[in-house]
Amino acid sequence: MISWFGLVLANLGRNRLRTALTFGAVALAVMLVVFLLTMPAGLDALLNSIASNTRISVHNKAGIVYSMPYSYARKVRQVEGVAAAVGMTWFGGAYEEEGRVTFPNFAVEAEYVGAVYPDYGIPKEQLEDFRRYRDGAIVGRQTMRKYNWKIGDRITLKSNLWPVALDLRIVGEIPQERAPMLWLQRAYLDEALLAARGRGLEIVGIVWARVEDPERVDQVMQAIDDLFRNSEAETASETEKSFFGNFFGSLKGFVTVILVVTALVALCIVVIAANTASMAVRERHGEIAVLKAIGFSRRRIFAALLAESTLLCTSAGLTGVALAYGFAQALRSFAGWSPALGPLGSFLVTPGVALRGVLLALAVGFISGLLPAWGAARKPVAQSLHEVF
Amino acid sequence: MVLTAQETPLIRLREVSRSYQRGVDRVHALERVSLDIPAARFVAFMGPSGSGKSTLLNLVSGIDRPTSGEVWVAGQRLNDLDEDQLAQWRARHVGLIFQFFNLMPVLTALDNVALPLLLTQLDKRERARRAELALRIVGLGHRLHHYPRTLSGGEQQRVAIARALVTDPDLIVADEPTGDLDARNAEAVLALLRQLTHGFGKTIVMVTHDPRALRFVDQAFHLDKGRLLEGNDAERAHEAILLAAGGGGAAAAVLP
Repeated sequence: MISWFGLVLANLGRNRLRTALTFGAVALAVMLVVFLLTMPAGLDALLNSIASNTRISVHNKAGIVYSMPYSYARKVRQVEGVAAAVGMTWFGGAYEEEGRVTFPNFAVEAEYVGAVYPDYGIPKEQLEDFRRYRDGAIVGRQTMRKYNWKIGDRITLKSNLWPVALDLRIVGEIPQERAPMLWLQRAYLDEALLAARGRGLEIVGIVWARVEDPERVDQVMQAIDDLFRNSEAETASETEKSFFGNFFGSLKGFVTVILVVTALVALCIVVIAANTASMAVRERHGEIAVLKAIGFSRRRIFAALLAESTLLCTSAGLTGVALAYGFAQALRSFAGWSPALGPLGSFLVTPGVALRGVLLALAVGFISGLLPAWGAARKPVAQSLHEVF
Repeated sequence: MVLTAQETPLIRLREVSRSYQRGVDRVHALERVSLDIPAARFVAFMGPSGSGKSTLLNLVSGIDRPTSGEVWVAGQRLNDLDEDQLAQWRARHVGLIFQFFNLMPVLTALDNVALPLLLTQLDKRERARRAELALRIVGLGHRLHHYPRTLSGGEQQRVAIARALVTDPDLIVADEPTGDLDARNAEAVLALLRQLTHGFGKTIVMVTHDPRALRFVDQAFHLDKGRLLEGNDAERAHEAILLAAGGGGAAAAVLP
């Protein structure tokens, strides 16, 4: 037996192909919008997962491509409040035949690196081995998986920056799914350079320091920068989160563009849905006139027509959110075994994002149905009948 | 203001006129029409195209409002009601039948008939019971779950009649109900409408061109150029229709 809801459903089933196409268009658009909406939060999550607030980078004020005297690492370690600090210098090594740098690799001070990165969870014995073996290397899990390396393997990295190629022995792994970097011993590079060019590694790229007290991070950064003020290489200190945040800065700009495009996509689906709603109303002028004649008030006609577009778009929106959720989950599982997809694993459809997607669909349905429903409802019944019969 | 059924016929029109603005012209569709129609009558408004019979039907059914004059139906002065109040009034007091049936193609016969009951407080079971009863009255008890596209023209018009009947209205108005039917179905529909009046006490007002209708209705009102014909003019119009339908023999057959 017919009910108000049944009437709305029956009318949606009137032209199934058109309803299905509109449903599909709205669902896909909402899926796209929802997925794009996960990006800003995803970037933050990614940043949180790889960066710490108590670890700070100290680099040349002129920019990170400029080096600093190696003595800075020692001096930073002496600043009050610094628990540990390690000098890190870009090695720029390419793995074997590939000839290009496919993962970041640095020369680090083996004796200090473990103390600066306790949160990485590198086993103590592996850190010991790293200190013990001059040719030792510690490699992030992402790169280990990419090249199918295991501890004990020997590899050769040919530097694109320094005139050396180093044979390395993998002695440890950074057990973080999305860690791509390789650390080798600074002393090993120093020796190799001395042999190759008669001059060792006298500089350092970045000094990473861990601050003991999170409350004193700003104060410590200030103290470090003050220490090197008016020196040959003034420094700029920033937290690790801020450091990586700057890397992602351009990406965030890109995300803004995407969000603007998303808004335009949303506008497009409003227009598409409005066109559908308008066609659905137009081809039913006769029936609507009859409904008015048999006593359906303008308010009821308006509500029934609006309910059609709102129901269609909202259910499509729910489907779109479910699709986006599924897509994000799929990326998350793929990211586990495909390093290239690593960052995408951070994009999560949170309840807040899902709600925004559903509200968008609801708004699309409501706005797109508003004008056609109002147009059909507002006409006096006599005029509606006169136009039709 | 509300009058009781004892004081007044079911339909009373007094000096009713209806004019429209069409571009720069003022079209007088109906001029100073007065008439009374008692309850439980089957009545036809007849006349050539543009005579004002559909306008009159719209006024009687509360679809339109007069420019001047008074329209009383079932004790209610319709001039006092606005568009939404008229809709509410129609839902309670009027059943409508159209020439082209105008059933909803996505609903079964039963659901089409039950549509006006959505505007009542009746529960689902009662709505189903009444819709089924209405379909049985019009002889379609075996077609409850058929969609309009699977029904013949005559059957679709019967479904429309059941839809008009289902709320048990005081008044049923029919706009050219036989206009889209063949002769056999037209006669069947007219017979059914007559039966609704004489068997169920319904008041039916019908607009029609169909001369056959004269054999079924209790009274015919003839209109021409927006005026209700009376006396000799009405008789002449009546005879003209009969002659057009088939000559004197036919006239003799249908004249009261």
